[in-house]
Amino acid sequence: MSRHRACDDFHRSSERWTAGGSRPRAPAAPGRWLGGGALTRRQVLGAGLGAGLALYGARAMPAERVFEAAAAEAAAAPDAPVLVSVFLPGGVDLLDTLVPLHDYGRYADLHPKLKIAGLPLGGALFGVHPSLAQGLGGGVKGLFERGKIGFLPGIDYANPDLSHFHSRHFWETGLITADAAPGWLGRWLDRAGGRDNPLQGLSMGWGLSPVMRSARAPAAAVSSPGDARFWIRDVWGEPYDEAMTAYGRLGRTRAGSHALKTSRTAARLAKGVADRLEPYRERDGVGPLASTIAYPAESDFGERLRYLAAMIQQPLGIRVADVEMRGDFDTHDNQEELGPLLAEVSQCLAAFQADLEARGVSQRVLTFVWSEFGRRPEENDTGTDHGAGGLAWVQGDRALPGVHSEYPSLSQLDDDDNLRVTIDFRRVYSSLLEQWLGTDASAVIPRSQGFGRVQLIR
Amino acid sequence: MSAEAAARRRRRRRRRARRRPDGWTERHVRRLFWRAGFGATPREAAHWARRGKAATIRWLLNGGPVPVPRIPPARTEDGPLDPLNEWSHDALWWLHRMVSSPRPLQEKLTLFWHDHFATTDQDTPMMLAQNRTLRRHALGDFPVLLREVTTDPAMLLHLSLANSDPEAPNENFARELMELYTLARGYSERDIREAARALTGFRADWNDDGSVRTFYDREYHDAGRKRIFGKRGRFDWRDVLALCVRHPAHAPFIVEKLWDFFVGTPIPRGTRNALARSYRRSGHRIKPVVGAILAQDALYRRLDEPTMVKAPVVFLAGALRSIGQGVERDSWGWLLQGMGQQLFRPPSVAGWEWGSAWLSSNSMHIRFDTANYLLDTPKLRVADESTPEGLSPARAVARAKRAVGEPWTSRATDAELMRIARRLLDDREKLPGGGWRQDKQTRADMCQRVLRQLLLCGPDAQVH
Repeated sequence: MSRHRACDDFHRSSERWTAGGSRPRAPAAPGRWLGGGALTRRQVLGAGLGAGLALYGARAMPAERVFEAAAAEAAAAPDAPVLVSVFLPGGVDLLDTLVPLHDYGRYADLHPKLKIAGLPLGGALFGVHPSLAQGLGGGVKGLFERGKIGFLPGIDYANPDLSHFHSRHFWETGLITADAAPGWLGRWLDRAGGRDNPLQGLSMGWGLSPVMRSARAPAAAVSSPGDARFWIRDVWGEPYDEAMTAYGRLGRTRAGSHALKTSRTAARLAKGVADRLEPYRERDGVGPLASTIAYPAESDFGERLRYLAAMIQQPLGIRVADVEMRGDFDTHDNQEELGPLLAEVSQCLAAFQADLEARGVSQRVLTFVWSEFGRRPEENDTGTDHGAGGLAWVQGDRALPGVHSEYPSLSQLDDDDNLRVTIDFRRVYSSLLEQWLGTDASAVIPRSQGFGRVQLIR
Repeated sequence: MSAEAAARRRRRRRRRARRRPDGWTERHVRRLFWRAGFGATPREAAHWARRGKAATIRWLLNGGPVPVPRIPPARTEDGPLDPLNEWSHDALWWLHRMVSSPRPLQEKLTLFWHDHFATTDQDTPMMLAQNRTLRRHALGDFPVLLREVTTDPAMLLHLSLANSDPEAPNENFARELMELYTLARGYSERDIREAARALTGFRADWNDDGSVRTFYDREYHDAGRKRIFGKRGRFDWRDVLALCVRHPAHAPFIVEKLWDFFVGTPIPRGTRNALARSYRRSGHRIKPVVGAILAQDALYRRLDEPTMVKAPVVFLAGALRSIGQGVERDSWGWLLQGMGQQLFRPPSVAGWEWGSAWLSSNSMHIRFDTANYLLDTPKLRVADESTPEGLSPARAVARAKRAVGEPWTSRATDAELMRIARRLLDDREKLPGGGWRQDKQTRADMCQRVLRQLLLCGPDAQVH
């Protein structure tokens, strides 16, 4: 009945604009306001205007040298593995996503209204939401059955905090602390990354994701790499050049209050980015970043993945990247929206994998999909509240296929009536760091030995 | 009061203002108007500098007859605004209000509360109704504002308080009530669960035409005993709100949040405690505490150089206000979105992230584009052959500054603008590398465009 959303998740920095067309909506009744959904083409183009690359670094960024540094890093290690973090915000419900066909009676008791007739999954006891079969080659279901996905049901941490902000912060930093801290991938960059190439750590969006925030290492955010040129109305030639020179020089002025320095730095980086992205500029809709794979139309998430696949193929030295889905899995009272959301996830991730394969880079890309917590197993009539024991998965040519954690019991819940946590996310982080990125996990995740390891790579 | 008495009072006030050594200047007014509103026009700055600090703050708090800029009514290229039906027209409608309101502080606080009680994605009529509620109580009593927001249909639906089932209460609103609206600390998961029980009873019905009706039904209220913050009782929603407002963490929390919004520098502990105390003693009234914050010396530090980053909507509303231009096109909608602030669509329940986070290289680029559209408004457009030939560089810069409302500029900017004007307005006919330059008239027009562009979107224009 209701089409509204529940508590919108915390998009601290990464997401700035809403591609209204990307989120499926319930059809509106006649006479009802229809705005806010699909943008017209003109509006989409407008929103893309001026989009480009945002650079972050603790020291003054050599914006003018970004691409040279990137090419140098890429040439030094052309086969370096790439880890992609995909965040599904809001807390994805485990039970309706990886449907417990092995305990369906108990599941139906917990979800009398919401229960899903899950599709059986070759190679697992549980099934999947039918939406996860959508997309190229059978979507996420197809990927699992072709041995390209390892599921991690019941993932979380002991005594989970059910605040979006807190829990998300823990996942982003890999630390159970309320204190501000760099992201876990940012810390990996500090430890193992370079000092010159911001593209080594890439957030696909308008700002740097907290996952990617580093203490020292440079990192970058990119939204629309094909379109970053400045223009001034009715000005060209010498006056244009003079204006852009002045803008660049103001950006390089050092003095000023913190706010003014921030503003000057932003001007300098914006100018540097526009200059450097010139070779990637799309002309008549065609650019060096075009893809041969069809991604779902109207999906902002898919577009980011498409740009990411293209950029990974370029000699840019990308090592870690993150993409946040623009959607809301916080289904307190609208669990029916889970289907369309999962369909988008499935279609986009299947296209991403196919694209990586078509570009010949799939051997060196591993994708880790996660959400900040699970949901309470007992439904609240129209949805589910925040809970523990969520889900995650690894995907890629080199992902160890199968199920790598125990599916939480539906009859033995914890003291708060939540699912029991069967694998700590820091065990997974530690394993990814060592098995995929080849870095001693204890240098990134404090006390990582205590979490043990799980094999995730073949 | 007779005209004579009024004149006497005015004279008396003026004399008092001259005697009062509060050192109130146009620079103070400009700082205050940016923080408590959307900037001051040159006329306002002169007016309020004469009236003195106390009178200026009093006017911001209470309104009154004033010399606000005359702004033409809002419209787009296609006609009047249609906030209920056209994409982004709701935001344009509010933007126009920010530009033209005779109560800038009320409008600024409405923005503050929209961010504080961030609600999104509900049908436009409900969002506009919520906006009216926020405005009505923006400077009122916090407990009343909180009550009105809690029972506001858009909020009831957004945070799932409507139809929260007493058998399985929805914790969404209860959690944000404590975490984001009133406390931030000093409560437990159990308090949230118990509060969720106490908050049950709100219902929503959807009509066939898609409209919704919200109401309270005791039948759906969990009337049992609850324990919240260590207190026991058969609490209902009113009790929960009262418990939160009376919680010791509430006053410091709200005081600090208001301080951050207006002042930007960290609040000293002593100041916070004093403001919290007077806020509590006032019965949790918003107006006195905001007035006290606006009078703090900390707000006027470094008048030679702004210390806060303008939020996108403040940047745009301020620019429009300073050139005396209302909303006249729909481009502002997607430009605001691109700059990262779509009104009525905050990115999360926690609202927007303010401060430096507004200025990525991306959003900076879109602020640059925004200036292109400002330069295309009737008030600022530089038509071909409209600039007098033979202006000196200094007069060309002065002309551009006057056109955009005499904004603050740093010395670095002044030097760059002069450099541009000198180079574009000289008599050489050929470029250094050979080839003819544009003719003098064209260069004079383009120089004027370029100077205005940089005044509107350069680094200086992003801070207040």
